[in-house]
Amino acid sequence: MRKLFALLVAAVFAVPLYVAVVNVFKDGPQISKSPASLPIPPTLDNIRSALGRSDRLFWVSLTNSVIVTSLSIAVLTVLSAMLGHYLARTRGRWTRALTLLLLSGLMIPPQVILMPVTQVLRAVGLMTTVPGLVLFNVGYYVPFGVFVFTGFVRAIPVELEESAALDGAGRGQTFWRIVFPLMRPATASVLIFLGVWIWNDFIDPLIILGPSQGTTVTTGIYRSIGQYQVDFGAMFAMMFLATLPVLIFFLLLQRHFVKGLTGGATKG
Amino acid sequence: MSASVSRRPVFGRRAWHFLSFGGPGTAVYVCFVLAPILISLGYSLTNYNPFRGETHFVGLDNYRVLLTDEEFLTSLKVTSILTAIVVIVPNVAGLAIAVLLDRQSWFFSSLRTVFFVPVVLSSVVVSVIWTRLLDNDGLINQTLRALGVDEPPGWLSDPDYALYSLGAILSWQMLGFCVVIYLAGLQHVPQELLEAASIDGAGPVRRFSRITWPLLAPALTINTVILLISAFKIFDHVQIITRGGPGTGTTATIAYNVLQTGFVANRQGFASAMAILMLVIIAVLSGVALKLLQRREVDL
Repeated sequence: MRKLFALLVAAVFAVPLYVAVVNVFKDGPQISKSPASLPIPPTLDNIRSALGRSDRLFWVSLTNSVIVTSLSIAVLTVLSAMLGHYLARTRGRWTRALTLLLLSGLMIPPQVILMPVTQVLRAVGLMTTVPGLVLFNVGYYVPFGVFVFTGFVRAIPVELEESAALDGAGRGQTFWRIVFPLMRPATASVLIFLGVWIWNDFIDPLIILGPSQGTTVTTGIYRSIGQYQVDFGAMFAMMFLATLPVLIFFLLLQRHFVKGLTGGATKG
Repeated sequence: MSASVSRRPVFGRRAWHFLSFGGPGTAVYVCFVLAPILISLGYSLTNYNPFRGETHFVGLDNYRVLLTDEEFLTSLKVTSILTAIVVIVPNVAGLAIAVLLDRQSWFFSSLRTVFFVPVVLSSVVVSVIWTRLLDNDGLINQTLRALGVDEPPGWLSDPDYALYSLGAILSWQMLGFCVVIYLAGLQHVPQELLEAASIDGAGPVRRFSRITWPLLAPALTINTVILLISAFKIFDHVQIITRGGPGTGTTATIAYNVLQTGFVANRQGFASAMAILMLVIIAVLSGVALKLLQRREVDL
């Protein structure tokens, strides 16, 4: 009974997902006439036309998204791991103030800072560039990284680091050789969550990369909405292709996702 | 303190520690978050418009105008309704589904996966899918017509429905998050406690209200605060699905109006004041919610 009921609820919930997938493999008339029918016979025309656009919208967007996401999460992991370690291992008024300042960044909506950010980026010549977007991402998401790493460092016994120092290892060496490898679960959480968030991000690339200077997958889809007014098939195909990497990533690392999310939900 | 071989004086060593470990992250954060907030705060006291000459100090005028500005008050109302829907619906439905799925087997954990998929989808993708579904001739209205409803509502084109449709879409996307958090909370409820209560004659309803629900307090706290913060700054879905319409501002959230006023109308001073007010409201709301909810949390 419970199984049947649960299955029913999940099936209703999943209708939009089902519709999004089946329509990738149907032709235009079929999509508007019977959006929920199975794609029989399935067609690959939509995928072909999304991949083969003359402006290479999909490929450009994919390249940008891959570069922005991977650079951002790599830099974020290094910077927030070191900053998180620093904050967890030092005491005093300044440390506390800095921690508080960083954590309050967790709830700041991008709209509050985007206007000045475009000016800062323009001043250093990075507006409408990929490095500009990466830098902004690093600044905006560093609080999340710090939040995860600080908590994790506190659980690592400080004696480990002290004995490494006694053996003559410098601070940097101790951190990278001993502490960082121990923080693998925290690193996984940071990489996974920030990876998905940055890949899916819409407003920041929309404003910072601008409409003309290139799109990420999300702004690419947004741009194609206007043009594909009729060709829903190609639009669904583009969404499908843009979501596939994140979906595979999620399905493979599902356990980490859940663990990372629920760390604080249960208090031990 | 660790015995360092360095001969630098203590203060220099500390400064070096900060600069090498904390410096880079702090610097980027200051440049791209803290400084921009201060700049916004500064702009909010001026009539700044990048395409119009003179900028001068106007004191609190922007804020004073905002508090009686009809457009802003409407967006405040729109945002509040949306936030209320998004805090309540996924929380309640998420708890119900979590209780339903709270069994250890591959069957129930794969259903959990299904509910979580929308959480990892981009808001752009979710918006486009739902725009098609809720279209006047989309799947939902096709189904309603087949069921005999002659004139199904224009879910996104009727001002009376559009805001609630948005709320439903957002709730659908956030639901899985709540399910996962509540499931984790449920799995930490000690079985012995439930069995003991059952032996003492407590029925399922009593067991839930007296044992399970109080122990889910941390999960409720997390869900509520996260939903509150994410709902109050909703922008993507509005931009893609309704563009603030239908009609004037029926679905225009504060976050949407900030960007419209700032980047489209270029009234950046005024938009900054709006943004600062939005930040203050989010900070107060989430602070109050956190305080109230954490007071309920009990230690086992």
